[in-house]
Amino acid sequence: MRNCQQIVDLVSQEIDGKLPWKIHLEVKMHLVLCNNCHRYTNQLNFMQSELNNIEQHLNSVVLSEPAKKRIQQSLNLTQSGNSHG
Amino acid sequence: MTQQSPETWLNDYGDLLYRYALLRVRSETNAEDLVQETLLSGIQSWEKFSGKSSVSTWLVGILKHKIIDHFRKHRHEFNSQPSDESAEDILAYQFDKQGHWQVNLVEWQTPDSHINQQEFSAAFNHCISRLPQRMADLLFLRSIENVPMQECRDLLGFESDNQLWVTLSRTRVKLRQCLDSNWFERE
Repeated sequence: MRNCQQIVDLVSQEIDGKLPWKIHLEVKMHLVLCNNCHRYTNQLNFMQSELNNIEQHLNSVVLSEPAKKRIQQSLNLTQSGNSHG
Repeated sequence: MTQQSPETWLNDYGDLLYRYALLRVRSETNAEDLVQETLLSGIQSWEKFSGKSSVSTWLVGILKHKIIDHFRKHRHEFNSQPSDESAEDILAYQFDKQGHWQVNLVEWQTPDSHINQQEFSAAFNHCISRLPQRMADLLFLRSIENVPMQECRDLLGFESDNQLWVTLSRTRVKLRQCLDSNWFERE
């Protein structure tokens, strides 16, 4: 029998890929019986869905004006280079 | 033909690309450079754009490649600094010696209102920024971008798949713990 600490690692691994079916079943069984691991799994899944949309948590971050200017200048150079080439 | 032309890209997508890059490379200067490189590549390969996806999706695709290149270039920096990942420290709070929970986890109430959501975003960003660099990189590359295992190992200097999985799991334990104490336990 695996302990909670080992189950936690397997739960994490399963977010990023499949586990062999026997291990998958063992994890499922454990989660049915163990409140803490069950909650941990829910919380991990929630974190993962937030991570997948992480840009939405940074809405207020924008390019600074000087950076924009600098980038614009380098783009202008390329584009004028292209149109004459 | 689409009506969109590269002249408006910086205004239309610059901030989006910048956010995307900044989260992954954590340096404003590097993120700005990546935006610039991405737009330049986009302009150069504009002819090849098929119109099958939106321009923003296409540009983010280019940016992803640039970010991985960035990690490749800075690979040597990772191998020397994983000391702050100490698994024992992270796990000691949570598990006893037999590997059973020492704490009782409380179900999270997910943020509902708009204000709630904003505060949650702040806590979420805070907790991510507190992760050790390599752990955050691993989370982004492997778990969000689905960069193949072998490449993640090479980029971040892991010796085995197992070491990578265990570190990823520790990263989540750490992030969970931070969110739990900074957001969900506020009341």
